[in-house]
This record gives sequence, structure tokens and C-alpha cells, in this order.
Amino acid sequence: MQNTSVINANNLTVTIGQRTLLNNLNFEVGKGEVFALLGGNGAGKSTTLKTFLGLMKPNNGHASVMGFDVSTRINDVRKSVAYLPESVTLYGHLSGVENIRYFLSVAGIERDDSSIFDALKKVKLQENAWHSHLSNYSKGMRQKTAIALALLRSAPVLFLDEPTSGLDPAAIDEFNNLVSELSDNGATIFMVTHDVYGACQVAHRIVLLSNGTLTGSFEREGNTPIDTEAVHAAFAGRAQ
Amino acid sequence: MTNSVVKTICADQWRYWLRTKVATTVLLFGAILTLAALVVNAFHIHETTHAREHLQQEAEQRFLSQPDKHPHRMVHYGHYVFRTPTALSVIEPGVDTYTGNAIFLEGHRQNSAMFAEQRQSAGLTRFSSLTPSFLALVLAPLFIILIGYGSVSREREAGTLTLLLSQGATRQQLVFGKLIALTLASAALLLPLIIASMYVAFFSESAAVVALFCVGYVFYFLFWAALVTASSAIFSRSNVSFTVLIVVWMATCVLLPRLGSSVATNAVPSLGKLESDFKVEEKLRSLGDGHDVNDPAFKKLRSDLLAKYNVSSVDELPVNFRGIVAQYSEGRQAKVLNEFAENRMQEELDQAQIARQFGWLSPTVALRAFSTLLAGTSIETHHRFLREAEALRLEFVQGLNKIHAEKLDFKLDMNRNKSEEAADKAVVSASNWAILSSFQFEPESPSARINSATVYGFQLLLWLGLSFALLQLAVRRLHP
Repeated sequence: MQNTSVINANNLTVTIGQRTLLNNLNFEVGKGEVFALLGGNGAGKSTTLKTFLGLMKPNNGHASVMGFDVSTRINDVRKSVAYLPESVTLYGHLSGVENIRYFLSVAGIERDDSSIFDALKKVKLQENAWHSHLSNYSKGMRQKTAIALALLRSAPVLFLDEPTSGLDPAAIDEFNNLVSELSDNGATIFMVTHDVYGACQVAHRIVLLSNGTLTGSFEREGNTPIDTEAVHAAFAGRAQ
Repeated sequence: MTNSVVKTICADQWRYWLRTKVATTVLLFGAILTLAALVVNAFHIHETTHAREHLQQEAEQRFLSQPDKHPHRMVHYGHYVFRTPTALSVIEPGVDTYTGNAIFLEGHRQNSAMFAEQRQSAGLTRFSSLTPSFLALVLAPLFIILIGYGSVSREREAGTLTLLLSQGATRQQLVFGKLIALTLASAALLLPLIIASMYVAFFSESAAVVALFCVGYVFYFLFWAALVTASSAIFSRSNVSFTVLIVVWMATCVLLPRLGSSVATNAVPSLGKLESDFKVEEKLRSLGDGHDVNDPAFKKLRSDLLAKYNVSSVDELPVNFRGIVAQYSEGRQAKVLNEFAENRMQEELDQAQIARQFGWLSPTVALRAFSTLLAGTSIETHHRFLREAEALRLEFVQGLNKIHAEKLDFKLDMNRNKSEEAADKAVVSASNWAILSSFQFEPESPSARINSATVYGFQLLLWLGLSFALLQLAVRRLHP
């Protein structure tokens, strides 16, 4: 992990009508860092993600990824990021391989079949499912397909929206290992989650978000995971 | 990359339609229906054209082959004229299906056109006839709605919209890709019509007219493809998009054309046929009986003629007074008949013009007016047929009356009913029947048809522009 700032929120404020969804957020995420934004329902986690993806516009302040401002250079931002939505909604009428081919094509990225198969192997999606329609996939299988897509995009930044939601424990472990591996290889990972335990296991830094405001921060020291109890106490206290 | 993203999105939309089968079934059904309607109509028009040409020749032959006769018997023997269908009526039969296409021409009266295939509806939208134009105007938009109402909203409902945009696809690329996919799907419904039009152009129609005719339909289909895509992008839920589109379809394709007809009929009320016929009859009666030389109505004619030739009785005239009376009477009757006919045609034209103004409210009405005027199947063309038929009627009836006046002796004529022998003598040679001109009805010149259709072409262009403006708005409002 390096100190170079890859993701940057500077006085970031988003409002809809009279409602303030994000209130003056300030944070930086460095290269190779796994950053977890932790918050309850309606805290503003998804709004933060959508703002960085250019799907919502900031009313005040700035959000940037890889030095590109999301308000003015969104196409450059999108080329730099891979996004894993909360409920992975790929196309049911396409197979896993076809879905990956399609989204890569939309992103303007060319990958041969062997690269796609390698990525699917890496995320441990069983081989007999590769050419089945997504409508036959479990949530975990869809998640793996989406992660494979993110890997194939070779994006330096990954935005993950509730990545472990609905996964079984084995799948969560596999996912956490994969995130650590990607981080070790230099990828910057920004995840929003309400899974305290999962975040503590994998994140280098956890920032608490409540009602659109940052309320606390926890950092990993060395290889020791962040203290779950402390985060949980702070999280529960803020949520009340 | 921009083009390849649009192509990729378009191709995936098609893959979705092919795999889910619903859209392709609708498309196949629509294309088969259009093709079937075209083939059936083409055969029907082909047969009708040949039959009418044959009947026209036969009617002329029959008239010319009549033996020596009293000329006034030929006036009542009469003659038929037929209107052969125009080339583009294979696609757009227009008013032909309910106006009639044959008229029996005889002395003293203007008969109505006969053999209309469908008289039950005078509305601009006729559910009862499955013509290619009806399919294109009314059913094709419904098929386009069924295929495309969820093309964009499906992405939003399924959550794939966020993922697509996060991959770098822009909202314009997404909507444009969907629009192209739907336009290509619509083309499957339009293609049979375009091919049939090209075929028609190759044989017997102006290329400019056919090209504009096709452009009109292309604009209309593009309008619907753009409207359906825009609705699908504006409304976040597919069922809302579908409901809104069905309401728009009902209003533009079904209600407004009928409302146009109703408003036109109420704005320009016209006499019923029976009432109108009574009025004509009453006026004609006041002109005197042209068969009776002693009718007081012809007293002045008699005295003027006697004075002109300086004789004291009609027996001494160098012309047959009965023939002169017939000529004079027919001329006056024709004036009255034409006055009523012109009034009726003006009313019909006014009604048609009012109904066509609904083209500013409905693209279906705009295209209907555009295509009937270009195809030569409009009410104006029918009126021209009536006028040309009337001109022929008056020409041959007055021609026979002239022969009656100049070639048949008055005394022989007056004695014709006294015996069979006298009747045999009161005839003229059959060679005189050659006064009958042959009748061949042609639609207006291509430039005249294009001129009259131009305003409705602008209406279509306006609708297309509106649909694309809506599409732009939809792109701006498209959010995951």
C-alpha cells in the first residue's frame, strides 16, 4: 500500500431537494488500499458509490478517481474503475461467458476466451456453469462472474457495493482472499458495506458513515485485522 | 469505440429478442400478416385491373356494335366507364374501397359509382379491411410497442443499467443502440411494403412518387421506434411504459382518425343521398320533359328557332326539332346535375380537408393523407373520375342528340310510333355510334400528386422531429 491518493473526496456534498444525502465528506484512499465505508441503511453508502461512478452529481465539493474529477472527466473515471453492484444483476438470457464478453465489449476492452476462462477459474466458478444461462446461477455464482468481469477489466480501482451480502461463509472467505490478493497486486478497493466482521477481516481502513456524515475511522495495524468489537460498538452507537 | 458500443448494445437487444422469442414471434406474425395482405391485395388489384380494362373495352365494343337505331334509344342504351386501380393502390387502396369504381352513363341522369367493396364505413380508420396500409398505419405501431416497450426500462428494472453505465457506456449510446435495434425490428414489418413499392415503381409508377411514398412510411415507423424507445427510457417501469404507449396508440391510431371524420362530418353537414336525389329531381322537373316537344318549357326555344330559320312550323325546320329539344334539355339538365354534383364533391372535399388537419394531432392521419394523395387513391382522384365520366356522358349524349337533330327527319321521327314499319324508318346508321370516345382514367401527374401531398409530408416530418426531441429528453432524464 502506497500513500498516493487514488480516490479523493473533498468537501463532497450531495443533496436531493431539501435532503442532504452526503454532507461535506473528506477522505482519501491510497493505492493498494482496501477501504471500507461502513454504515447502516440510508447512511449514504450507495450515494457515495454512485457519486464516484458519475451516476449522481455532487452539489458541492469534489470527488475524483485517479486524479480525474467525476464531474468533468467521468469517461476517464469509468475507464479506471470496475464496479461490483450489490445485487449482481447480469443478463439472465446470457451465459456467464457471454455476460463477461458483452460488458467487456461495452467497456471497449478486448479479451480472448482463454483470458476469460482464466478469470473464471480464478474466482472459482465451476466450469460446467460457464456456458449456462445466468438465470440458472445462484447469487454467489453471479457474484463470482461479476468479480471475474472486474478482474478482466484490469482496472486499478474497484468499487464494491455490499460485496458479501447474501454469500455463504465459504464464499465470503474466498471473496476476502481474492480482495486481499488484488490489493497485494496494487489494486485500490473501495467497498461499502454494513458487514462489520467482513470489513474488519479485509479492510486496511474502515470509515463510519451515518446520515451522510463521516463519524469515525479505524485503521489496521500491520497484519492484525481491525478490532471487530471496537468497530461494532462505534457502529451500533452511531446507528442508535 | 462509440460506434462499437452502440452496435454491441443493439446486437445484444436482438440476442435478447431472439432468445426470449416473444418479440420475434410478434415480429414474424406482423411480417407474415403484412406479406399476406400484400399478396392478397396485389392479386386482387391485378385481377381487378384486368377485369376493368376488359369490361371497358367490352362496353365500348358493345356500344359501337349496336345496329341502326333511333339515336335517343342509344342515349338510353347508355355506356359504362370503369376506373382501373392505380399501381400503389396495392398498398394504399385509400377511398377506392368505399367509393365505387364503375359508372353507368346515360341520358338525363348522373348515376352514382357502383361496386364499392366496402360502404359500411366512411371513417379514415377501417378495422374491417386488412389492407397493407391499414397494417402499416394501425397494427405495425402496436407490434413495435409490443417489441420495444421495455427495451430500456428492462435494464433499469433488472439493475443492469448501473453496470452498463459504469462500464463506460453513455446514456446516448445505450438509448441509440436500443433505438437502432427497434428500428431494425420495425424494418422487418416495413420491408415487404418497400419491396412491393419498388416492384410497382419498376413497372408502372413514377420513381419519385414511390420514393416519397416509401419515405413517408419510413418516417412513420421511425417515429414509432423513437417514441417507444423514449417512453421505455423515460418510465422506470416497463408496465408503465407499456400502458402509456398503448394509450398513445389508441389515441393516435384509432380515436383521432375517427374523431377527425366525425368533426368533419359535423362541421360540413351534407344532405343524405335520398334527400339530395329528391331535390335534384324537383329541379329537373322544373326544366321540362325533353322527350315532349310540346312541353311549355320549350316554347321560347321553338319560337326562337322558327324566327332564326324564318319558317312558320317546326315541320319546315331544316333540323329535327325533337333532337334540338333533346340537346337543349340535356344541356340544361347537365347544368343542374353538375351544380348538385359539384356541391356534393365540394362538401366531401371540405370534410376530407378538415379530417386531414387532424394530421397535426395524429401521425397516422398525416400518413394516411400523404399516402392516399401520392397513391392516387384520394377523394380528389375519385372526384376527377366522376368529372371525367360526366364529361364523357355529356359528350356522347349530346353527340347522339346532335345526330338526332341533323340526321333524322322530323316527320319520320314523329311518326315512329304509328307502326312497326315507321319505327324501322326512324333510325340512323350504326356508323354514327363512333362518336363515343374511349375512356381511360389515369391518376394525376406525379408532380401534381407530390404537390398536394407535401403539406402532409411536413406533418410527418414534424412528428418525427418531436419523437426525436422526446428521445433527447429521455436520454437526459435516464438515471439508474
